[in-house]
Amino acid sequence: MIDKRLVIVSGKGGVGKSALSAGLALLAQRRGLRVLAMEMGDGQGLSTHLTSGPLEFEPREVRPGLHAMRMVRSDALLEYLSLQLGVRGIARFGPVARAFDALATTAPGIREIITIGKAIWEVKEDRWDIVVADAPPTGQIGSFLRAPVTIGELVPTGRILAQAEMMKETLRDPSQTRLVLVTLPEELPTTETSETLNWINNENLVSKPTIIANRILSELEEADAPTGPVRDAASLHRDLWREQQEWLHTLPPDLELPYLFGLFTPGEVAAHLSDELEEIL
Amino acid sequence: MTKTLLVTGAGGVGKTTIAAGVGVTAARAGMRTLVVTVDPARRLATALGVENLGNEPQPHPSERNLWAAMLDATASWRAVAERHAEPDVAARLVDNEFFRAASEHFPASQSYAAADQAATFVQAKAWDLVVVDTPPSGGGIDFFTAPAQMADLVGGRLLRWITGGPLPGRRFLFNVAGRPVLRIADSILGSDLLERVAEFLLDLRTTYDGVAQRGREIEAVLGSSAVIVVTTSDPAPVREAIRFYRALPGLASVPAAVVFNRVLPSEWAEATAPPGTPAALAHNLEQWAAETLRQRDSRQEFSSRYGAHIAAVPWSAHPPTDLDGLADLMKSSSDIPWAELGFSAG
Repeated sequence: MIDKRLVIVSGKGGVGKSALSAGLALLAQRRGLRVLAMEMGDGQGLSTHLTSGPLEFEPREVRPGLHAMRMVRSDALLEYLSLQLGVRGIARFGPVARAFDALATTAPGIREIITIGKAIWEVKEDRWDIVVADAPPTGQIGSFLRAPVTIGELVPTGRILAQAEMMKETLRDPSQTRLVLVTLPEELPTTETSETLNWINNENLVSKPTIIANRILSELEEADAPTGPVRDAASLHRDLWREQQEWLHTLPPDLELPYLFGLFTPGEVAAHLSDELEEIL
Repeated sequence: MTKTLLVTGAGGVGKTTIAAGVGVTAARAGMRTLVVTVDPARRLATALGVENLGNEPQPHPSERNLWAAMLDATASWRAVAERHAEPDVAARLVDNEFFRAASEHFPASQSYAAADQAATFVQAKAWDLVVVDTPPSGGGIDFFTAPAQMADLVGGRLLRWITGGPLPGRRFLFNVAGRPVLRIADSILGSDLLERVAEFLLDLRTTYDGVAQRGREIEAVLGSSAVIVVTTSDPAPVREAIRFYRALPGLASVPAAVVFNRVLPSEWAEATAPPGTPAALAHNLEQWAAETLRQRDSRQEFSSRYGAHIAAVPWSAHPPTDLDGLADLMKSSSDIPWAELGFSAG
């Protein structure tokens, strides 16, 4: 997974998407890669798990070899207009940038293409070996992956269209881009992940995603137990395990990450996940 | 007087289960109760009797006093156009590609729809209690800021950004050549996209007075509602819940409680396996004890540092699938502030 240039991590809210993004970024960093971790959505999940403090649009080195940033739409818009579309002196054209901001709020695909475009732009830079994007949740990921197509339908010609074509190819190229869907063995995440998978197979915008099931309990052997907490804990564990197995059967994942017991901070969670990933990747 | 309970919190923490549980408990205590839900799991939808139902509250087939409605964001946006715009403008808006995009992609779209609908149900005065399962977007904060964001969207700011000057009439659109901003934008976009957006915003702007007025009504309802924050004890949701808990007094009111979901029995924290316990089971208890300890710490931190009233819903291996299961889950919970909702759950 970390041999790709762009890893986009999505999943239903609450499944551990940001923790896993941070874990992947930490693993890549430990293997000596030059890493950019990108908070793509509005939350602060990634910075919390990297224990980096608030992130800005300008990438900042949070550990040796690991830079982190967050999307700021107005900054990304200016950069998109000036660097990608080659509109010179855009800073002096404040009104044009603002007009585009109005456009980004209203027209489908503009906000999304600026965001996904930023990730792809960074991939094309030689500064990084890998870009790990903590992407919006599965409910919105479709509109981001589809943004280059949406723009193609909205804008018939011009530089934006050419850029959109390039983005389409990068997203579709399995040697460059990998989509990771994080899920939990529970009803709602399983349903939402399955729906997202179907949609992705139909739309052919990105190659087959990697499904990672998080918080998986291990099987507990049957044994006689005295009454009290020993038995109650064993009984809860087995019941939860059986429930999990059903959902894992409904949607078999490519990778499983274990339930982490007794961790206090998001930083600890990300560090442990990165250790677990080290063993299976 | 209708009481309102807003059930807030991050995604995946069990908001819908708790909203439904409170709803059933209230209904069984004799309150005419409506539960408004966003995206329920199938078995919860079945339990509430809201499968395949839309915006309109439906009485539960077997539970007296219980109604349920499922949120339909698109319908709510259509209502905005139809309620606040002239008929011909409304028809144009509903067909407009940008209007459809905004109803789907505007960041606070689902939150606005939910807040608008919740306020409508409260104003109907047909129920004693309306329980609202809020959308998780923006960590729950969107729900409270949505009316202002909506007014901002339909207000003139974006339009002024495009025209670069005072608010224009429709006539300005025939004079694009004279607008440098639009000329440059056209050359970048290779199309008249920005003009079409401006035209759409002109139509949308005619709804401004209505939307602003409605926004004040919605905010009044939200401001007088009881709020609970739901979280699990996991590190990331707890961080979110803390941020949200601290922001809430500025947005609505001090939350009546922080409800921790999936709580383990507190006696596990100090439990040790007696001698002779098989190693696997002893190890298992150690793991769950560590988890219990961590859970207890995060609840204590919340109450001691932020003064929050803490309620606890136990971790059940089998999520409730019917109304009795939901009611039982609430009965085995502790410290839920029933009195603040106007009834006793004895």
